[in-house]
Amino acid sequence: MKELFAPKREGDRRRGPLFAAAFVFLAASLTSPQTPGKAPTLSMVPVPLTTTQRAKATTVDLDFRVPIGYHINSNAPKDEFLIPTALKMDLPTDIVLGKIQYPAGEDVSFPFSPDEKLSVYSGDFTIAVDVHPLGSVVPGKYQIRGVLRYQACDNSACYPPKNLPVSFEVKVVKEPATHHANPAQSPHVHN
Amino acid sequence: MGTSPGSPSSVPPQTPETSSGSPQKTGTGRSPLALVVVAFVVALMLYFGYHQARRGGVASIPRAGQSLIAPDFSLESLDGPAMHLSDFRGKAVLLNFWATWCGPCKIEMPWFVDLQKQYGPQGLQIVGVAMDDASKEDIAKFAKDMGVNYPILIGKEAVGDQYGGVPALPETFLIGRDGKIVDKIIGLRGKGEIEDSIKKALDTRPASSQASLAQ
Repeated sequence: MKELFAPKREGDRRRGPLFAAAFVFLAASLTSPQTPGKAPTLSMVPVPLTTTQRAKATTVDLDFRVPIGYHINSNAPKDEFLIPTALKMDLPTDIVLGKIQYPAGEDVSFPFSPDEKLSVYSGDFTIAVDVHPLGSVVPGKYQIRGVLRYQACDNSACYPPKNLPVSFEVKVVKEPATHHANPAQSPHVHN
Repeated sequence: MGTSPGSPSSVPPQTPETSSGSPQKTGTGRSPLALVVVAFVVALMLYFGYHQARRGGVASIPRAGQSLIAPDFSLESLDGPAMHLSDFRGKAVLLNFWATWCGPCKIEMPWFVDLQKQYGPQGLQIVGVAMDDASKEDIAKFAKDMGVNYPILIGKEAVGDQYGGVPALPETFLIGRDGKIVDKIIGLRGKGEIEDSIKKALDTRPASSQASLAQ
């Protein structure tokens, strides 16, 4: 028994606070990833500059992240009253928005509804947007803005719908000069 | 996997002398055991803090003495006329904030239908407040589909603010016959837990003569 209460060695003293800190961290991490009762906020990964030619469509991937422990409805939820995740873009004149491709939702049942599968996004997901600068666009950089509307829940509660501002930049360049092969006008043809 | 003596990471072999340790200083260092105890207490505080937060605080609700008074309100009902919380004075009220887009709220509604049937004769009145952007018609359709047998009111943000902001749904307040809040439940809980809170609200006595509902 004496050994148990023997004076602590230097190494033990150093490890003590570390052990305590690890214990507190573990306890904290076992509770909740975000403050309960507080609406989670989606984040968007910054989009690298996309270069595109005039009169040519380009697909831009927008990457979003749902905080751990939460989910949002997919773009096609299975219940008419659920609010779908939807992207709404506001484009400059002469740049046209093509198709918005939403990922398929993951069919998941939750403790609050074990018999029902909901179509949701959780973790990371990507929405692909087709951007189509018209031929009349002045070459240059264009900021494209919009909002992602979503409605999040966790395993026991839901939070009011929110709008996440979305923005990315597109650099429009001139289309390459076209060569019209016309032998009759070839500079190598001399009379 | 032995550690070679003399390497930087090597630990000197422990001898009986070092483990008895009498010559070493020990008085100034903090005991790891004490730190573990502190860590345990902090972890307990985090745990209880988390669960307290889940149950929610009602600090923003006006107090009368030591009790929390349920703020009165006037809200349009699906049936037409405006309803006031004070209309139910003398009854135990289960005030449920919900929305059509809230999955967990949908789970609770059939429970509330049953609980209204079971405890209505004893003086329980369940009242739903739809915190929704949906149209009145959509809310009515939803309530009809769910077979709701209690009044549904069209919520307003201002009323939500009176009840602490209602940041997450469902959020349910149990109000005693005296108009005082006896319990608050955030998020989906078991039917049994809701029933326990209802019993607590039914066990209260009506305020004698003075109006106890805050205006």
